[in-house]
Amino acid sequence: MRPIEIQVGIDVGGTFTDAVLLKENVILEKAKIATRPDNLLGTVLQALEVLKIYHQPVAQITVSTTLITNAILQQRLPEVDLLLFPGSGMSLDSLTWPVSYQVLKGELDYRGREISPPDELEWRRLLNRYQEFPQAKVAIVGKFSHRNDLHEHNLALFLHKHCPDLDLSLGHEWGQANFYRRSLTAYLNLATSEIYQKFAEQLQQAVVQKGSSAQIFVLKADGGVLPLQKLRPVESIYSGPAASILGALAQSEPDQSFVVVDIGGTTTDIGLILSGEPLMSSHGAEIGSFSTLVRTLAVRSIPAGGDSTILSEGDGFKIAPYRRGPAYCLGGPAPTPTDAMRYLDLIPYGNRLKAEEGLAQLLPESFRDASHLQQLAEDILTRLADNIAEAVDSLNQEWREEPAYKVWEVLHPHDYHNLYIWVSGGGAPGLVNALGTRLHIPVRIGDYPEVSNAIGAALARPTFSCTLHLDTSMNRYRIEETGQQGEWLGSRKPHKEVEEFLQEIAEQIARDQGIELSDPLIQPFDFFPIVKGYQTVGQIVRGSLLVPPGVRGRLKP
Amino acid sequence: MKRSGILFFPAFDWSLGDTHPEREERLLYTQEQFFEEGVMELPQVKQYSPGLASIHEVLRTQALFPSPDQPDLTAHLIAAGSAIVLGEAWAQHEIQNGFALVRPPGHHSGATVLGNRGFCTLNNEAILVNHLRTKYGIKKIAIVDTDVHHGDGTQDIFYHDPQVLYVSLHQDGRTLYPGSGFTNEKGGPNAWDKTLNIPLPPGTGDEGIHYILEDWILPRLREFKPDLVINSAGQDNHFTDPLASMNVTARGYGKITELIRPDLAVLEGGYSIESALPYVNLAIFLALAGEDYSHVQEPQKPQRPLLNFQELKHYVKELKVNNKQANPHWTIREEKSLPAGKWAYIPHSVYYDTEGIQEIRQDRIRICNQCGGTVLIESQHASTGERFALIRIPFQACSTCRQAGEDLWEDFMGRKTSVLLQDQSQDLIQFWDVHEGVRSL
Repeated sequence: MRPIEIQVGIDVGGTFTDAVLLKENVILEKAKIATRPDNLLGTVLQALEVLKIYHQPVAQITVSTTLITNAILQQRLPEVDLLLFPGSGMSLDSLTWPVSYQVLKGELDYRGREISPPDELEWRRLLNRYQEFPQAKVAIVGKFSHRNDLHEHNLALFLHKHCPDLDLSLGHEWGQANFYRRSLTAYLNLATSEIYQKFAEQLQQAVVQKGSSAQIFVLKADGGVLPLQKLRPVESIYSGPAASILGALAQSEPDQSFVVVDIGGTTTDIGLILSGEPLMSSHGAEIGSFSTLVRTLAVRSIPAGGDSTILSEGDGFKIAPYRRGPAYCLGGPAPTPTDAMRYLDLIPYGNRLKAEEGLAQLLPESFRDASHLQQLAEDILTRLADNIAEAVDSLNQEWREEPAYKVWEVLHPHDYHNLYIWVSGGGAPGLVNALGTRLHIPVRIGDYPEVSNAIGAALARPTFSCTLHLDTSMNRYRIEETGQQGEWLGSRKPHKEVEEFLQEIAEQIARDQGIELSDPLIQPFDFFPIVKGYQTVGQIVRGSLLVPPGVRGRLKP
Repeated sequence: MKRSGILFFPAFDWSLGDTHPEREERLLYTQEQFFEEGVMELPQVKQYSPGLASIHEVLRTQALFPSPDQPDLTAHLIAAGSAIVLGEAWAQHEIQNGFALVRPPGHHSGATVLGNRGFCTLNNEAILVNHLRTKYGIKKIAIVDTDVHHGDGTQDIFYHDPQVLYVSLHQDGRTLYPGSGFTNEKGGPNAWDKTLNIPLPPGTGDEGIHYILEDWILPRLREFKPDLVINSAGQDNHFTDPLASMNVTARGYGKITELIRPDLAVLEGGYSIESALPYVNLAIFLALAGEDYSHVQEPQKPQRPLLNFQELKHYVKELKVNNKQANPHWTIREEKSLPAGKWAYIPHSVYYDTEGIQEIRQDRIRICNQCGGTVLIESQHASTGERFALIRIPFQACSTCRQAGEDLWEDFMGRKTSVLLQDQSQDLIQFWDVHEGVRSL
């Protein structure tokens, strides 16, 4: 018989940390504690204590944390040298670089062929610097290195030989196209690795010391999970919105299409689930001034939530993008949307008289009567609903305007009917009506809106994606997600064998990452015959195997 | 910086044949180059998703015979529809200019379509132009065709249209497909001098093309004062092109784009898919977006000797003289069988190389100084013997020409295999054939 599954999910948010302990998909324990921004590890450990996990044979703990997101946004990153092989083409200045870089000679083309070799003299000059800073962090990224890692690899070998203590990171490990994003992703991943490693080690130790043998997983921006030690740190950004979306998925029927709105303390995250599958962004994640190749769910975040401070402005008010404390009705310093909800009796907690007092501060003295207060409270929630509605529209636009590169795709556009809205988060009950009125579609709310994210984290399944790019006339293959590159020994015009080849590589990668693949899908392959002088000399084949984001099970009441 | 739109539709699942130049691989490396450079991420750039042109939008501009219900039209409808999507973005002021980087191409496809020729079935630019005229009332349009081949299809469609200036720069028709585009092809009787053909000798090169643009084409554009400038951006002038030998570089194309300053560029031919397309497309788009293209550098260097610049200048001078002295090539007749007025008569034939079809055409244009003049094109498929007729009432038709068109429509129905009434002035398309009778499309 299968052992009883006990799972823990923890979502460390900006204001609150939600946690649940599930047994066979039933909630046994839940907790909501204040996040200590200066001590995220302590916050996680406290949540584990509150859940009493050490009394249970917990199999898996999944953590979604803002550790790396915060480190990047608060610019608490160590210095990284970025060495680039940009070759010719678009000018580097055409895009804005948030970090400085050094340009080196050497160029490859779009198939990974060397156009011009690097300059060893330049490399030797680099040594002068690194002999002075032998432990420097160095990211090396070449244009088209995702097609051929030759220059990156050789420079890394050269530097390592002379300065073995350098901390090196190579761009081709982020094997999707986009030199600019690849450079910044390699940079960020290297810059965040120490912070992450320290957190990971301490968390693992603390859990083991308490006698738990639970495996610890971390939630990623794409809604998947990976074992704590296998994660590339930068992939853990934006796991909060991913947790919201998975939480909604875990509490809904399969195959439905809906908008997820998670109303947090100071941020509202909006995502989309289409036919039971969370919508992925076609671009990598954007964080601060960095554009990355980190795979992410398509989400919109609005800097407004239940605890956002409301300021009076002219004759009206504005919702500030920050929080000064809890809501006024819960003893906080300033009026918030939560006070509006309390005043309108949409939520049961908090002191209604305090809510009234807080809201009254926003009105001129002569207007502080019941009808004006009622109007103000409604206006506040309408404003919030308007902001959310705009983000929902923009997200809808995103998938409708997705580029298509094949005739088949144009002839088979996606279409989804009967969309509804799923709200979660502390402020959810208070916004149901305002959102329904504004968007004219049904609004639903789960039984556990306050710990929805933790449910999502607990039930998230590993995502997986392995994209093969094979060039049989150059006998080379590459894997986008890992940057693995190698020699192809198969035929020039392969058919069935490519699929087996992809499957073998995918299984190998999954084993290395410590995850099991559940129902992987193989996408239809693209075959491009390569023609030279009316002779077919080979093929470029593209195809992928993937496990889309999803949940391992659905929450039972 | 210019707000620029890009519509990239490489039709990765469509080809005219496994080893045909117009195959899946054609824009693959352009995609690699654009994605790797991050072109779509430039802050001023917006990427659009492809559209599908309706049959109505096609028939407003081209007559598909024997019937518009043709198989294998989908990829072409997407290419034309995508040009329209970008045109809409331009007309709505979302973008200042745009590049429809789409395949299949279109500029060899003319007023009547009996099949595919020169890889083209539908004329993307012409369908786009007439869409914008119909929907937004845009009056004067200039099309500058920088493909190395003469854009005979586009010329055919607008040959009698005084509101459209068609300029084609190409390698001389004596040395290259389709064998037309000589200086004496200057437009029909109501649109004389609204077609300008500049056939060039092999090896003209960057300097030569830029000279011709600055010395001849740009002044002509300034004189015409178009409301919309379209560039048929073929890329086979590149020095690595397997079919032509014009010796232009990628940066040369960037400069061409900068000089023409098109509102909308639409990809045409160009089959040096590894050595030219990734670089030429990049240079064109960077130039449109107002970005620096001076670092765009193809790996190979031009090798064929360039034509001596002085010789070229001399050649251009002679061309201008020939162009000026050219005489009309039609005959004017009063024909009893046609509605009242003078009709110019231009018989000619069109060869569809892809499918080996010969079309025999008899074009008649009503001479009119009020409007573009009603056009009657009688077409015959040489091997099947089927006969077709296209009757076109032009944009802003005068009442006499309108009546002439309607009379022709009444008269021709039943006398041919199929007949199309293309009433551009009222955006009304009617099609008659023996199986289904009259259909409004």
